[in-house]
Amino acid sequence: MEILLQIFLILFLAKVLGEVIERAGFPGILGEISAGVIVGFVLLRPDIEILSFLAELGAVFLLFTAGYREVHLKELRTATKKALIPTVIQIIFVFYLGFLVARVFGFGLLESLFMGVAFSPTSIGVTVKTLIDLDYLSSRVGSMILSSAILDDIIGIFMLSVFATFATLNQLPSILHILIITGKLVLFILIMFLLGWKIYPVIFNYIHRMHVKESIFSFVVMIALLSAYLATLFGLHSVIGAFIGGLLLSNIPFAKIEGVQDKVSGLAYGILVPFFFAFIGLSIDTGTLITGYFTVFVVATAIIGKLVGGFIGSRIVGFGNYDSLFFGAGMIPRAEVGLVILAVGKSAGIVSIEMFSAIVFMVVSSIIVSPVLLKLVTMMKEKSNKAVL
Amino acid sequence: MSGIFPELKVSKLMERNIVFLQEDASINDVLDLFEKHHFHLFPVINDEGNLVGVIDQDIILEILLFHRIPRVKHTHLAAVRSLGSDVKGIMVTHPVTISPDTDLNEAADLMLKHRVNNVCVVENRKLVGVLTKHDIINEVIKRKRSV
Repeated sequence: MEILLQIFLILFLAKVLGEVIERAGFPGILGEISAGVIVGFVLLRPDIEILSFLAELGAVFLLFTAGYREVHLKELRTATKKALIPTVIQIIFVFYLGFLVARVFGFGLLESLFMGVAFSPTSIGVTVKTLIDLDYLSSRVGSMILSSAILDDIIGIFMLSVFATFATLNQLPSILHILIITGKLVLFILIMFLLGWKIYPVIFNYIHRMHVKESIFSFVVMIALLSAYLATLFGLHSVIGAFIGGLLLSNIPFAKIEGVQDKVSGLAYGILVPFFFAFIGLSIDTGTLITGYFTVFVVATAIIGKLVGGFIGSRIVGFGNYDSLFFGAGMIPRAEVGLVILAVGKSAGIVSIEMFSAIVFMVVSSIIVSPVLLKLVTMMKEKSNKAVL
Repeated sequence: MSGIFPELKVSKLMERNIVFLQEDASINDVLDLFEKHHFHLFPVINDEGNLVGVIDQDIILEILLFHRIPRVKHTHLAAVRSLGSDVKGIMVTHPVTISPDTDLNEAADLMLKHRVNNVCVVENRKLVGVLTKHDIINEVIKRKRSV
């Protein structure tokens, strides 16, 4: 029964450290990763099999809730209009930089591609708080950061769906493989779309009349699990299925009743997602972080990549120097999607422990560095404005 | 619930005189409406009169106090709403709806079981009324008193 104690300990530390870090002004995800690192030191024999299963469920529900509650595909058109050029430029730039660093340090082609992908998605949650603190949320550049982060999220999930499937093959696919993967993905989306369009709305009309307790909540969770499973049947990764399943439910009124959303969110963010982040912390090898220059290079290039890529992109669309730097700094934080990509790569045996640890350290650093840089750029801009006056 | 409202349909009880918003109305129009009326929710309709969404007090509070909401709520959706300049950009799409022919017992079950406070009543996608918990409570009280 030691597993009960392990589960208790991980949840307890994740929530307590998450709270401490939130109050210190940083996102709770850092506390959840730290909880995993501490548990790694404290527990002599963590039950990896059960904990990794819970972490996998955490990743599934992280992406499911993103589709179900948070991502708005309808808004993508507006975001695209506003921020396409800067977003695409910074993603290409940072992806290539990540890939290049991995190649220079002698990693294989597929592993290097994974590093490029893990470098790309920006986490919106980190940036929004700083934009509010600096009173930049409604500014032109603040609005572009938000639009870009929305677009970035979708591109990140698209990249995840492609590379997670590469991971299931465990090799760089041939053209034929890519065609087969694309075919499977299209077929899977068609089937899911059919379920979401014709079947689920009818089913939910009956589910809400059921007499058993929590029928709607239970069926929403079942659809998350079924979608994740169906994806694996098509040779795709479970998290992609979960994301698409969530998107389809987001249009069904009974599945989106506020009380049901709260329960799904409670299951995801109260229990399972902290396991995902804690397991990331538990899985890193602190030894590899201390030795070698690789981690330093990973952190530096991931930060510089977004800063410079974002700067170039926003200069092209006509922003001034300081606003372009501000945009670059706002795009630095990585978190959820990047870590899911990393975890998928690691569990498939593509991403080595050295790269895994370095990228987790990069994620943590990016979350801490971005607000500091944003404040610095704001101060520089104010100083320059005063000098002009 | 069965037996409390024998053969009574939603259409008999729903509020037909509805205060609603057009989907292209501005955020200021929404704030004016919330200031003027003490409703929890306003239906949103398009040019054809079809119900396309709702705006409730939670959304308005989230927009007005965006700087106060905890970081965990700084999601994609919150960002989209903070960028929204009209009703379409901030409303909840796909609200729960019922038809005017729905049995009132069924509507009451829905509100009780799933803690839904207000339901928009639609006929061929057109908004025709709103049913609130308050309407049902009043009806039950009226019936008890008449007995």
